[in-house]
Amino acid sequence: MSPNPPASPEPATPTAETPTMSDASLPAGSHGHRLGVLEATAFWMFVILIGLVAGFTLISPNFVFLSVNNLFTIALNTAQLALLAAGMTFLLGARQMDLSVGSNVVLASVLAGKTITALAGTPDEVAMGDYPNLALAIAAGTAVAFLSGALFGAVNGVLVTRFRLSSFLVTLATTAIGLGMALVITHGANVPDIPRALQTGFAVRRVLGGVPMPVVIVAGVLAVLWFVLAKTRFGAHTLAIGSSPEAARRAGIPVDRHVLSLFVLMGCLSAAAAMLDISRFATTNISGHQTDALQAIAASVIGGTSLFGGVASMSGTVIGALIPVVLATGLVIMRVDAFYQLIVVGIIVIVAVAIDQKNRQRMSR
Amino acid sequence: MSGQAADPTQGGYAIEAVDIVKNFGSLNVLRGVSIALRRGEVTAVVGDNGAGKSTFMKTLSGENIPDAGELRIGGRAVAFRSTQDAQRYGIETVYQDLALGPDLSIPANIFLGRELLQPGLRGRLGMIDRRRMLDESHAVLVELGVRIKSYRAATQSLSGGQRQGVAIARALKWARHAILLDEPTAALGARQRDMVYEAIRKSAARSLAVLLISHDLPQVLELADRIIVMRQGRAVANVLPAQVSVRDIVDIMLGAREAA
Repeated sequence: MSPNPPASPEPATPTAETPTMSDASLPAGSHGHRLGVLEATAFWMFVILIGLVAGFTLISPNFVFLSVNNLFTIALNTAQLALLAAGMTFLLGARQMDLSVGSNVVLASVLAGKTITALAGTPDEVAMGDYPNLALAIAAGTAVAFLSGALFGAVNGVLVTRFRLSSFLVTLATTAIGLGMALVITHGANVPDIPRALQTGFAVRRVLGGVPMPVVIVAGVLAVLWFVLAKTRFGAHTLAIGSSPEAARRAGIPVDRHVLSLFVLMGCLSAAAAMLDISRFATTNISGHQTDALQAIAASVIGGTSLFGGVASMSGTVIGALIPVVLATGLVIMRVDAFYQLIVVGIIVIVAVAIDQKNRQRMSR
Repeated sequence: MSGQAADPTQGGYAIEAVDIVKNFGSLNVLRGVSIALRRGEVTAVVGDNGAGKSTFMKTLSGENIPDAGELRIGGRAVAFRSTQDAQRYGIETVYQDLALGPDLSIPANIFLGRELLQPGLRGRLGMIDRRRMLDESHAVLVELGVRIKSYRAATQSLSGGQRQGVAIARALKWARHAILLDEPTAALGARQRDMVYEAIRKSAARSLAVLLISHDLPQVLELADRIIVMRQGRAVANVLPAQVSVRDIVDIMLGAREAA
């Protein structure tokens, strides 16, 4: 029996009534506090994050690591991963996962890129960087991206709910299918000539006194998703399904419909990540998203979301998405090979999963 | 055959099952079961394995659709196609596995699928009223005599008796006519079993019909107001605990004796 974790936000007992019947099997003060434990995982990862930032700041010349500009760059570099990790947090909370998000991003970005370059002007004009129908093309491209993303997610969701297949296997398969479709459409080459206006007008545009526009938008999306997960009936049902699908079903929660909607949500967030990707780099990145799913799962797990369902934290996920980016940025500033980041993140994931597993065993003894 | 043929006045019956038949393939599990549950009474259904107790209970909880026969609630014929149908009619089931979400808090489990929303705009945004859910959960558990230290703790951190208490509290919170309990004290120690007994009696005291399925005959004699014995898909006896001993019930269960 370990004492309550230090991060327990409040004393646990709301009201002390006179007991009418005592329960001998539960020694005083020993009751596990699941919500407190969840807070503890996120809390300790927050401590690690702050420690990394402080450490890199002290090491970096002239403390440039803590410069506003660098922090905004970190935020911008986290934006895509944070979107995917937020969707993954909902899915993991409901005891599902989506390994196909990287393929979904690639397919959506390819289709959006093709749409934009096809509608923006004649092939000659587009090749010259001249886009007479820019607004229409971008609007249509965005719509196509979200349609593709949502449809991709819906296919995953239908396969999981209707055919009772495990989401691990379904999304492993659709990873290959989605990427294959993207490669067939593009013959394996990235879609070039995506308008720079997306970069200047959106991806690197600074608003509100210097904050990159994508950061503002992604922060807004994350705030909404936090609200939905933590405060609403939708979020409660998500965690109920993850905690016990059978209990949720017997309680009348439409489990299949809910899980399907979570996969569609994941698809829409993948589409948003795709639009952000092609806007920032003015090209698609067909070979660049193979580890997206694993990174998103890692971010969720680092933040205290359980791989076993029933427990999920959106604020933890944001911390979990920031840690790898902060590491990579810091290592670059220190002139250390940034690939060490992968090793360190892997170790942190193992630590987070070990904490999760240990808590779970302690709980259900 | 202890004709549980409906009391013509029907005043005291919450649920009547009349000539319920259920076959699984060529297996005749229920062969015309008639059992009526009175309000304010704990009715125990006992029987040997395969006698049809659980199948009968699943007919009342909406999990099984009977092949023939009639269910009446308050004298009116009803048909359940799902557990949700039964719940809509105010019949709640406490499953043997309790059907609780282990990671969820106590209020989240008691209000599982029936979460309270906040008033006004917040409610329309889907915001849950956790304060009210906590207060109401607390009230019903205190009423049942189940003592719990932390209502925000995950349900899996509770003891077996407390978990059973939470499951019964949920049933009590939503039941209007009947609570069905499947082996509610199977895996509990003595003190926890007392707590659960207490909770079951208090449920009945709320003018609900309580149906108890149990293998534990001493328990049944202690707890039930009425005992119905099933054998080979039929209700063969309807006795009062004061009139019988464990030995009598076993004899009836095994067919060694027919009871009044």
